[in-house]
Amino acid sequence: MQKTEYALELTDYRRQDFSVCLGCKICASVCTVNDVSSGTNPQEMLQRLFMGKDVAADEPLVRFCTGCYRCTGACPWEIRIPDVVRALRHVHATESPFEKAFKGSVALFGRVYEPYVLMKAVPFLLTGGYMKHMTRWMEYMGFHLPHKVKRT
Amino acid sequence: MEYGYYPGCSLTGSAHKLDKGIRKVFAKQGHTLREIPDWNCCGAFEYGDRKELAGFSKKNLEKARGHFTEIVAPCPACYKNLKEADEEREFAVTHPLDLFDEAFFTAMKQARDLKGQVFTPYYGCILLRPKETAIRNTNVMEETITRFGGEVSGEAVKDRCCGGNQIFINKDVTEKLSRLVLERSRGTIVVFCPLCHMAMKTFSGERKVVYYTDLLLHIMGEGGAL
Repeated sequence: MQKTEYALELTDYRRQDFSVCLGCKICASVCTVNDVSSGTNPQEMLQRLFMGKDVAADEPLVRFCTGCYRCTGACPWEIRIPDVVRALRHVHATESPFEKAFKGSVALFGRVYEPYVLMKAVPFLLTGGYMKHMTRWMEYMGFHLPHKVKRT
Repeated sequence: MEYGYYPGCSLTGSAHKLDKGIRKVFAKQGHTLREIPDWNCCGAFEYGDRKELAGFSKKNLEKARGHFTEIVAPCPACYKNLKEADEEREFAVTHPLDLFDEAFFTAMKQARDLKGQVFTPYYGCILLRPKETAIRNTNVMEETITRFGGEVSGEAVKDRCCGGNQIFINKDVTEKLSRLVLERSRGTIVVFCPLCHMAMKTFSGERKVVYYTDLLLHIMGEGGAL
């Protein structure tokens, strides 16, 4: 429960803001996650947050939300459900090794320096079935030295 | 005209082709792009804390202050984050697609047409949603293709999600979503987002995936752009 409360603090929403949800489920009808896990209903998540209940890290919506904002575009109140999901991921600490490397690079250089991210994520890329795509990714390769952003 | 330019991390690395394309297209039209000095990462979609995320872009706007009021950001994630961070609307944060208007095409020198070729203009998510940060003309890519004689395909999937955001988290999700777009469209896929490019490219097989800027450069007569 505390985790969910904390997640909401990270968004621009308070629990009571979800009281406006009309329960129309238009978010569910457009949600991209339904293409990979049918029966996904963001409205149910909002309702649970409003009631002060927990949302688990292994819920399909929390795991697979792509941040496409189709729900926000369809919602009569334009509730930014992907922002809520990202906050939930943050408090559940569900980052993949790649995301950790991404944030590590931002902390170190102030920018995403791709060679650093790739190096850090090598074990994940090797075991995650990414190597077979490398030939398709040749056009993305290139080398440049990192730029270190000045700390202010 | 001179614009402040925010390339973002991808455009300095894997999306270097988009960076070069944007710079060339702007130069050909007589516009100057000047990078925001010492810009930092916008945070993309990786940060769950809204204040932390906005903080990155606020720092970038701080660095632009006094240098520019017009900022061009080609990467959809950077564009959205910058625009949202500019709460007072102090800057004109613009996506390049909004600058490719009638005046642009009237001034553009055409060397080739697109007759006999089929294209799927694919916008993905962030250029079109949420509404407050969406580009103004959501048909600009289709209009370009038909203007120069090309055939447009995949209208029904142009705003679907490719799942690019999940490519280094749950790759199977990206594969399923990208294939849904690919199966319901034909011809060369035209994108503007580095993540969409990567997701599409990974699963597109024989089909070409190009940046919209490559398409413009091809029409302008640039060799090997497409």
